[in-house]
Amino acid sequence: MAEIRLEGLTKRFGKHVLAVNSLDLLIPDKEFVALLGPSGCGKTTTMNMIAGIEQPTGGKILFDGADVVRQAPEKRGVGFVFQNYAIFNHLSVYENLAFGPKVQGWKAAEVDRKVKEMAELMRLTDRLDWPSAKLSVNELQKLAIGRSAIVEPTIFLLDEPLSNLDAAFREFMRTELKRIQHQLKQTMVYVTHDQIEAMSLADRIAVMDLGNLQQYGTPAEIYNKPANTFVANFMGSPPMNLLDCRLFSEDGAMLLELGDAGRLTLKDPALLQAAQAAKRPEVILGVRPEAVSVVDHTDEEGLDMVVDLLEPIGPRTIIHLRQGSAEMLAVEDKRFSSSHAARVTALLPQAECHLFDAESGWVLGRSPESAVGREAA
Amino acid sequence: MTAASETKAQAQAPEAKGAAVSPMEKEGKRLGNLMALPAQLLLVFIVVFPLLMQVYVSTTWWSPLDGDPWYMAYLSWNWFDNYAYLFEDPRLWSSIWRTFLIVIVCVPAQFFIGMGLAILFMDRFPGKTIFYTILLTPMMVVPAVVGYMFYIMFQQTGPINDLIAGLTGLDAEINWLNDINLAMVAVMIAEIWQWTPLMFLILLAGLSGVPEDQMRAARLLGANAWQRFWRIALPKMKTVIIIALVIRTVECLKVFDTIFIMTKGGPGVQTESISLFLYKATFQDLEWSYVASIGLFILVSLSVLAGFGIWYMSRQPKEPEAGRG
Repeated sequence: MAEIRLEGLTKRFGKHVLAVNSLDLLIPDKEFVALLGPSGCGKTTTMNMIAGIEQPTGGKILFDGADVVRQAPEKRGVGFVFQNYAIFNHLSVYENLAFGPKVQGWKAAEVDRKVKEMAELMRLTDRLDWPSAKLSVNELQKLAIGRSAIVEPTIFLLDEPLSNLDAAFREFMRTELKRIQHQLKQTMVYVTHDQIEAMSLADRIAVMDLGNLQQYGTPAEIYNKPANTFVANFMGSPPMNLLDCRLFSEDGAMLLELGDAGRLTLKDPALLQAAQAAKRPEVILGVRPEAVSVVDHTDEEGLDMVVDLLEPIGPRTIIHLRQGSAEMLAVEDKRFSSSHAARVTALLPQAECHLFDAESGWVLGRSPESAVGREAA
Repeated sequence: MTAASETKAQAQAPEAKGAAVSPMEKEGKRLGNLMALPAQLLLVFIVVFPLLMQVYVSTTWWSPLDGDPWYMAYLSWNWFDNYAYLFEDPRLWSSIWRTFLIVIVCVPAQFFIGMGLAILFMDRFPGKTIFYTILLTPMMVVPAVVGYMFYIMFQQTGPINDLIAGLTGLDAEINWLNDINLAMVAVMIAEIWQWTPLMFLILLAGLSGVPEDQMRAARLLGANAWQRFWRIALPKMKTVIIIALVIRTVECLKVFDTIFIMTKGGPGVQTESISLFLYKATFQDLEWSYVASIGLFILVSLSVLAGFGIWYMSRQPKEPEAGRG
């Protein structure tokens, strides 16, 4: 049992750098949580604080309810896989795996049994006698995980473990990590800037930016219900369309004015509720490119756009649409055919549209607390 | 391409070239040899000639007092009498053992103190830069000046005795430099004082080179400070430690200036090192041919020792065949 709770966790470097700002997060037992964000968002600092490598400026870190802020790193029972693996390259693979058990004073027979068991699990058995400096990157990766896992930490922290790998091996390692997590059954915190890694691996994702938690939820929640324009833009490839527009009412109906592209009558109850929550008429309409459908002629209400560019990427085609200052992307399957400069209509399913405040960027119709996912935290 | 196959390819490259040397490469090689010739001749003059001269002189009784020039030394040819005498000369052997004693005491002392200081300086503390500068000062002082400083300090009425008197409340009037045992202690203290900073500097560089991530990883695996030092830092500093010890051992074997100023090898010959013995034999006793034989003897013995040392250090643990994934 190892549940991690962060309460108001803050880290300052010097006077001016606020690396982590009052972070609240609950990482339930045996869950795989990804800390996701761009460089400098505070995710690695957060993880270092959980491990004890870095001392927080304020706030609490609770492991199963007990505050560990004053506890030395070696006493916290945390396994840590470094970005560069930090393999003891003067030792053999066997000695690397045996390091933790040995310094913790296990019996020799027990150490030997456990090392062989872990080598089996990590598929490193035939490498045990090798000097670790001779291993390939993927083997180093597995050795780093095995070395941390062997002492059976209740919490496992991984700092961008896949970032040094090439694309093909990264995909293989992703599934491997998932398998390892299932076998080890430990609470895992995973730092990454790669949204695909986070989406495919994590049970929950905490999206961070500039030291602040932007949203915390399951991958589906983060993807489908972004809390703000940052999350909307950061998640998904291509990212969510964010269109500047104006809200106004006419004949008792709520409408969205999208510049030259036309206007939309709001019908979806959730969207209407969001529109009513708007404090000012300037809003941002968000819709995922995959939700947009592009048709030649239709009687339905849509946006009049012109095809600007087509990007065929194998199974799908990304369509760049433009009309005046309004630009958006749509994703259609590979059968889509249209030519450059063709006039088309973009249909936006309102159930999959989101409205954000143009100034703050936060989603409308939900309280920021619930949007971030603080009730979970 | 993996790194292993790269190394293999690099290793094979010169072989492939060697199979077919182009005329231009041949020409280049000849020109290179020609241009290196003056330097090589100079080297012969500087190294080979004095060495041969020494070998020649060492097989005679020749001394500058004979009135003959050195090349007439054959007039007092004695084959290997100098070498035979050398093995029976108690003064020489006691100076050799004494020098080894200085090395055996001083080098480890410098190493342990230097290592302790290096570990201390890995952490941050107030005034670190000032302490760092002060700590490095001794090794920048001319050894003869160090000798003079300690000569003053170890006087019977000197500050060391004052300090001991202050600490113990006793009337300390120890005659350090004239006591047959304490003179050596005083000399060793001066030697340790001067050269610990160099050891500290080299070891600090080595310690800073230990990857921080690996130290952190060891800590997170539960290793305490001693285990981290013993199992991670120390093995990684192996080369640096060997270099530091070799430099200091070689230098310490040559110790001269400090002792010369402090005790002149006295009282009697109680602090006479090899260098000091050779100095006296050369300038006081004027036994030049004997000194030549000692010089050659030491050169050969040290070469054998050094060769053994290099062989020992360059031993590599057997590595498995590369076959990386």
